[in-house]
Parts: sequence; structure tokens; C-alpha cells
Amino acid sequence: MLLKVKGMKFLLDRKYYTKDGAHIWLKKEGDFVKIGMDAFAAEMTKPLTALNIIKKKVKSGEVIGSFESAKFVSRFHSPISGEIITVNEEVISNPEKINDNPYNSWIVMMKPDNNKDRGKYIIEGKDKIFKWINKEIKSVEGCK
Amino acid sequence: MKLFNLGKLNWRQTQLIYHALAYKNIESLVLNSSKDRYMCVGLHQDPRDELDLNYCNKNNIGVFRREIGGGTVLLDNDQIFYNLIINRNHPKVPHAPESFFRKFLQPVIQTYHEIGISAEYRPICDLTVDGKKISGNGGGEIGECKVLAGSILLDFDYKRMARAMLLPNVIRERFLELMQSNLTTVQKELGFIPSKEKICSILSTKFADILGPMTNKKVNIEITKKMMELNKQYSSDTWLYQRGTKQIGHEVKVCEGIFLFYYMFNTKKGPEEVTFEIRDNRVKKVTFSKAFKLSNKKYQKLEEKFVGLEYDRTKLVNEIIEMIKTNGVFDVA
Repeated sequence: MLLKVKGMKFLLDRKYYTKDGAHIWLKKEGDFVKIGMDAFAAEMTKPLTALNIIKKKVKSGEVIGSFESAKFVSRFHSPISGEIITVNEEVISNPEKINDNPYNSWIVMMKPDNNKDRGKYIIEGKDKIFKWINKEIKSVEGCK
Repeated sequence: MKLFNLGKLNWRQTQLIYHALAYKNIESLVLNSSKDRYMCVGLHQDPRDELDLNYCNKNNIGVFRREIGGGTVLLDNDQIFYNLIINRNHPKVPHAPESFFRKFLQPVIQTYHEIGISAEYRPICDLTVDGKKISGNGGGEIGECKVLAGSILLDFDYKRMARAMLLPNVIRERFLELMQSNLTTVQKELGFIPSKEKICSILSTKFADILGPMTNKKVNIEITKKMMELNKQYSSDTWLYQRGTKQIGHEVKVCEGIFLFYYMFNTKKGPEEVTFEIRDNRVKKVTFSKAFKLSNKKYQKLEEKFVGLEYDRTKLVNEIIEMIKTNGVFDVA
């Protein structure tokens, strides 16, 4: 299941975190959630030259790391509250893998807090994702 | 938008000011110069990997790790620093880094034009004159803001920069040569340096043209408090020395599109260092340290094999390892 917008692919087997231009996917695997960057972020950050994640307990929206592309540092925000259990060292050492294949390049695996609100900026489903991506593309084209 | 035209500051303050303003979410343009020289590394760099810290220490050259991107730079009184701090949700702020730099470097380009230098934008964030770099820039998100930080090179101490970098001597010499031939300054272009006051005045006018009127401001107690708080954090060893992404080999950038990449191959017979000179993403030249005293012909053959190849660290290193093994030149440990 896949949605294609302007050559970018969005897998429909996962959710997307949308706050403040974040383009982060989340996929539940058992008790854990894998998190990575989506195709839009992978395209906008070509080539990623550095990625750094801090392993810790976090609240939704909190900064958990940084990444660098084209001499510009952006912050990586956690889409949910919980604890970072594992960091994908392979991707940390080779961040350009995210540009090549964003959905296979998960960045962190988290154990989510069950009692925290995590719905506000998280979307799923073809229609919602399509609407959101188109809005994002317009916003990028609008302020070039 | 607020304008902080601050004249000469001590070296730490030149960095602390824009970090503090960004954390306080104060949209502003900051202009200043540093009284003292110092080396500044990007967020994802570790000074232990970039700088000859003994040399810096002995020569009173400060070291700062900033929260934004870009590489290692020598900063001193021969430069004018400009920092633009703007809320990341500001309607005029482009999303993509390249668009961000392209847009907000226009006032700097126009400033160069006004003093008689035909600078132009070179993606992603250099300004050049006849292909030579005349301004380096970096950017990033700090708090709720996006920040552009760069400098106008009035003059430049090439030797000092090369000396302060952590480089093998042969590479240091080549790095110096490359900088001298690919990096220019206002002094070199005009034969003189217009006053800093004049350049700052033009800069603020040109930024106002795209961002609206600028109101002169002074650093108040709230900003000073934030600077002091950040100074404590940024001065600590835990902040300064942090290793992030592990890259293969070592890359030293001269300007956009020109850099040296070198890799030390630890072999059973000892170390052999290979240096690649990269131009526009292709290998222009490759040099072996010749630790094994092979015939010049053999080394030449090895070197020629790589010229023109696309720059891909992993591929180049693996190719050399493979070549070494198959040709039996020496064994990789």
C-alpha cells in the first residue's frame, strides 16, 4: 500500500508526524515503535551529512537529536512520549541511507508511554496524507 | 526587525549573542567583529578531530563549537560577522536549506556589489568572485528560530588557518596552497578595505530591503543573562568534545566543491596515507605518501587509476583496499 505524490512515495502501513514541518514516520512493531524520516524529508535534506541522537526518556515534541544537510543543522523531534530503546547505529554512521531509502532506514526504536496523548499531530490514511503532503509542497514552492 | 550593530566584541560574545537571541526568539540582524582570533567548529564536529589543540592553546586561539552547521573556520578581526535570526514559521523563511541560503544571502551579495566586488551566489552557501570564495556561511535551527551565520572576509590569515588545523604536514601544505588560490578577500579584490562602519551600514540597509525596517537595539540584561547561561554550557568539555557521525577518513574543505579527502591505510608494513583532491565531486588528483618506496612508475599507475572517478568515500577506500590486495603491492592489516 503506497501513495505517490510528485515522485515521492508514502507508505500507508504507518503513521506520520506533522508538527511544524516535521516529516517523521512511525510504525508499531509489537510493544515498540520504529521512527524515521519520510520521503519528503529525505528529498529536502539531500545529502544528509550528519545525524546525532540522544538516547533518553522524552515527551512528545521534544528534541532528541540533530541532523545536518547542506551546512544547515535541523532538529529531530520525538513524535511521541516514551523512552528511546535503540538507536540505529548503521544509519547514524551512514545518514545518506535515509536519502536513498527512508522507510528502511529507521532512526530510533521507542517504547511509548501508554498514558500520554499522542494524537494531535499524527495522521494516517491515504486521504489525510495526500492532503498534508500537497499542502507541504505548496508551502515549499510558495516561499522559495 | 531588531538590529544589533555591536562593533568589536570579545571572541566568545560574537558567538554567544546570536545563540542567545535565537533561544530568546528575538528576530534580529547582528553585525560585529571579533577582537581576538579563534577557531569555530560546526555542531557535528569534534575539535579533537579538526584542530591542533596544542597549537591553539599555546597561541591563545580560542575554540568554540557552535550549534549550527558548516565546517571549521578561523574567525578574527579581519572579518565582519552577520547573523540573521528569524522565527522558523516566519512567512518569508524558505523550508529547504538551499532556498534559505539563496534568499538570505542576497543582501550580502548586494553589499559586495555596492563596495565594487562582483560577488555571486554559489550553491549551497558560498559567495564567490571569479570562482574564488569570498564569504563562508552556515545555518541551523536554534530554539524556535532559524539562523544564518556568515562573514565578510576583509582579509584572511591563510597560514594561521592551515596551521591551526589538525593535518599531516604534506596535506597542510596542499590545503594552504588550495586556500590561497581559491579563497579571496576584500583586500585582494579592491587593494584596500572600506571601513567596517560603511560595510555594516550597507548590510543593514540591504537586509531591511527584504525584511522590513531595522530598529537599532542594545544588548539588554535579559539577553546578557542568556549569554552568560550559554557561556557556561558551551565552555564545558562535555559540550566541546562530542563525537557524532563517524565518517570514513578525513575531509578538509577549502570552499564549495573543492576539498581534500585523506585516509590512512594501516597495513602489515606500516601506514600508507592516500590523499584525494576533489573538485566538483570528481577526483582531480590522488597522492600516496609513498611509505613503501615503490617505484615512481608503480605509484604513478596507482594514482592515475583514480583521476576522474566520482567522489564517494566508501567506494574510493574499498577500491584502494581491493587494488592493494589484488596487485600484491602491500597487505592490508
